[in-house]
Amino acid sequence: MTAVAAETPAPPGPARGSGADGRTAWGTLRTVLRLHRTALLVWAAVVPALSGWLVWLTEDAVKEELAAWESCQRASRDLCDISVGWIGYSQSLNWVGLLISYSFLAVAAFAGGSLIGRELENGTAGLAWAQGITPVRWLTAKLAVPALALIAGATVLVLVYRWAWGAHRTLTDNGWMSDDAYLSRGPAGLAYILCALALGVLTALLLRRALPALAVSVAASGLLAFVVAQYRGSFWPAVTRTSTATGVDLPDHAWELENGLLIHGRRTPDVGYWICDGTAAEARRCLDDLGVTGSYTTYHPESHYWPLQLVETGVVLAVAALATAAAFLLLRRRTATASAA
Amino acid sequence: MTALALSPDASKTTGHAPGAGWLFRLHRPALYVWIAVVAVLAAGLVWLWGPLTDSSAAAWREYNEFCIKRGSCHYDPDAIVRYKDVYGYTTGALTALPFVVAAWAGAALFGRELEHGTAQLAWTQGLSPARWLATKLIVPTILVTAGTGLLVTLHRLMWSAGDGRIDTAKSWYDNLTLHTNGPTTVAFALTGLAGGALGGVLLRRTMPALTFALTGVAATRFLADQLMPHLWPAVTRVTSLDDGYRSAGLGVDSGLVTATGAHIADPGCGPTSVSSTCKTVYDGLDATGFYTTYHPESHYWPLQLTTTALVVAVATALAVAAFVLLERATATPTRGGTEASV
Repeated sequence: MTAVAAETPAPPGPARGSGADGRTAWGTLRTVLRLHRTALLVWAAVVPALSGWLVWLTEDAVKEELAAWESCQRASRDLCDISVGWIGYSQSLNWVGLLISYSFLAVAAFAGGSLIGRELENGTAGLAWAQGITPVRWLTAKLAVPALALIAGATVLVLVYRWAWGAHRTLTDNGWMSDDAYLSRGPAGLAYILCALALGVLTALLLRRALPALAVSVAASGLLAFVVAQYRGSFWPAVTRTSTATGVDLPDHAWELENGLLIHGRRTPDVGYWICDGTAAEARRCLDDLGVTGSYTTYHPESHYWPLQLVETGVVLAVAALATAAAFLLLRRRTATASAA
Repeated sequence: MTALALSPDASKTTGHAPGAGWLFRLHRPALYVWIAVVAVLAAGLVWLWGPLTDSSAAAWREYNEFCIKRGSCHYDPDAIVRYKDVYGYTTGALTALPFVVAAWAGAALFGRELEHGTAQLAWTQGLSPARWLATKLIVPTILVTAGTGLLVTLHRLMWSAGDGRIDTAKSWYDNLTLHTNGPTTVAFALTGLAGGALGGVLLRRTMPALTFALTGVAATRFLADQLMPHLWPAVTRVTSLDDGYRSAGLGVDSGLVTATGAHIADPGCGPTSVSSTCKTVYDGLDATGFYTTYHPESHYWPLQLTTTALVVAVATALAVAAFVLLERATATPTRGGTEASV
């Protein structure tokens, strides 16, 4: 039981009396660091490990595939990308991207289980509050220290992933909107990590037990990410391109949201030119009979990456802020009644 | 702490070691959650197996018959998307179950009790450590095997119902489907359980035991994926340079065959029927055809069963290690009647 490793100045009376606020604050921070040193060490190992994996993939592991692709390019102009994405380099890059994107689930587990839940369940939090650390300061330190460590580490991971993802795009099949690259390449990934921290803390304060808090906090942050992802496409106005022909070309790397036909000028999704066939004249007549005046596609060009990312970051950070505020309110109310009783 | 729900009086007066009732009392919430999860997933799989497969297959039939061949085209794209979504969710959830079992076993079943000392308390009350561990392994093993066994059976039935009728259905060798269609998923869950026991006994702390068990299942699954194609003799098929690769199945190796019969790496140019410029590339390499070493679908059960046997052996080894470690750690103190050291 290392949870009692409180580093507060031993006698509460004199320490408070001397008004050494700075010392107490520093002491609180040191307590948090010391108590969760294992988690900190794990994070400190994960960040260089994933970064190293990315560097190795981009600089070394890719060489063979790059050579094969280049020799194919020399032999024939097209069709060289036919085998891209099945194997090796691209798949490994997808895996690292998924690990970075969904690392917030591990953060939620830690925040709900170890950071807060365990301390409330074992009563060590109450012990700390009785020893000169006010509950609010305790929670502030519990949020600030992990938040700083997570922001620092996740920033490194996101920057390294951005570099690795952009290095050999001809050899990868994960577009900017794909599950593994979208969150791992931008601030939204960081926002989910902070939000998982806040949700974990709130859940643990609500449930006051380590394992239920762990399970619920993982489920809650996973659910939040799932729900937000459903609305991802509508976080910025999409572009619609229409044409009087039976099909519209999409620009390269576009994220298509919807396509269909214009029937009397109205957009009808999920219907294509194949509703009519036969000879060119027959098809034309059939389309005219149906009132087809053209076709359209709604999409996000790659230039929408940043607006979409930033809106999603804002939404997720707002949820994080609400959860943090709720956690402080809950703690204050609970400790107020506890001391009144 | 409900761990004291053990009734020492009853066991003393009857002279029998306690049965498994204490375990059910202690982990009642987990039992209810397990029953609920299995029930929800089973319902999802049955829904998928019947109505969703039928409506998706009907939509594909209409699409292939009318949209491709005839003029008018009415089909239900929503049915196709719904099948694909529900398939993804249920298969993903079933894939995740062994990890959930591992986390629960490491944390709640073993780690927490050893950390809080409630396990040590139980050992002083007529329940020997070995019996404690045996009960904690056997009862969940039965429940986990029954639950995951039911789910993989339903998944298999559901997948077979859509096989060949739904154009976008997952192939038998798709990584997630490969395991959720057979007993390897059950074996992974049992590895999680045994890994939780070993992690708990070894580390005697909740969160480290949870991490240990999760890592154990992840490592087992990764290694099983690497070993699986080599656990049964694969088939090698050679196709002409014109045709390209024609075999579909669990791939082991592929490349070019030279005139001497040697296997060399494929430069990735593709079949000559698609791009005639590739012919000069292949001529330069003295290549005469493509080869694929792979497992056809008929190898599914041999691959599944050998992998299951291997993974169950890993689970057994983990459980035996937990017993040996617990025996060693508790031998002297409990026999001497003193508190077990934590």
